[in-house]
Amino acid sequence: MDLIYLYYVTRTKPNRSNLEDIGAEICPIYFQDTYAVVSKVSKDEFSEDNLKKNLANMEWVEKRIRLHERIIEEIMEKTTVLPFKFGTIFESGENVEKLLKEHNEEYKKIIANLEGKEEWGIKIYCDIEKLKGSLTLENDEISKIDKEISSSSPGKAHLLKKKKNELIKNVINEVISGYTQDSFEQFIKISLETKINKILPKEVTERKDSMVLNAAFLINKERVKECGGILGYLKTKYASKGFVFDWTGPWPPYNFCDLPKEQV
Amino acid sequence: MDNIVTKSKDVTLLEILDRVLDKGVVISGDIVISVADVDLIYIGLKVMLSSVETMERLRGAPIEGPMQEPT
Repeated sequence: MDLIYLYYVTRTKPNRSNLEDIGAEICPIYFQDTYAVVSKVSKDEFSEDNLKKNLANMEWVEKRIRLHERIIEEIMEKTTVLPFKFGTIFESGENVEKLLKEHNEEYKKIIANLEGKEEWGIKIYCDIEKLKGSLTLENDEISKIDKEISSSSPGKAHLLKKKKNELIKNVINEVISGYTQDSFEQFIKISLETKINKILPKEVTERKDSMVLNAAFLINKERVKECGGILGYLKTKYASKGFVFDWTGPWPPYNFCDLPKEQV
Repeated sequence: MDNIVTKSKDVTLLEILDRVLDKGVVISGDIVISVADVDLIYIGLKVMLSSVETMERLRGAPIEGPMQEPT
């Protein structure tokens, strides 16, 4: 027996023939001006137990999530799409139809809200050593401690040095916060909605520098061209201080699948 | 604009994972039999997501919710 994997909901009937090369047979399920786009998947891969096992297999995860993303990107160029989370699985097509029926008005409203807009993302990284090197760490408290250290016993000096390092750390954190906030605000200016996501640790990013901002923006298509100017401005201002700006998009609107609050 | 990436094949796995696994429409209830749990995947990767305090205060800044474009 097969299961049904749901990728996205849209209002435009997707063209089946364009998707054949992807390696999954995509078919739409229709209900009142909405199409849920699904493919059959095997229980061997996607039953609850088997899915749990497969999620520990990075090769399988990569193949599957790239497929998920690609299927949504195919349609996204042509029409507004409501992307579903990875691994949304139904027992039957009837259940997908039931979903469309229950959420018909809601999905139509969300899609209408996303019309003509694109999701873009930024991940800002900071090489903290490079940042430290670029700053003249002058601060009354720090110079006061320096003076005290020079006239203290070794034991006391050790404690004072610890205190000094703590102070420096705080100053650096303040600087990072300030620069990041400034960068974020530049993009807010051209965005309709924004979302701040979890910072990913180095074990996940596999980078030497630290992620300091992970955010998504919903931007009117006509304003997307302004991003280049903003990135240029931010790089000029902050690249020498160890900041790297990873700007990606357009993405399916994964971060903006809810109705704006006042419309709920 | 050299940091701009527009094709999924060029985008790192990290960027896709970060979206596809725990964002997008989520359904709850009887009709759906499984929605992959992001924690399971990251446990599979032997890593856990964690938020970093440096940026926590941004969350409190008045930036959430829809913002109108200047007219």
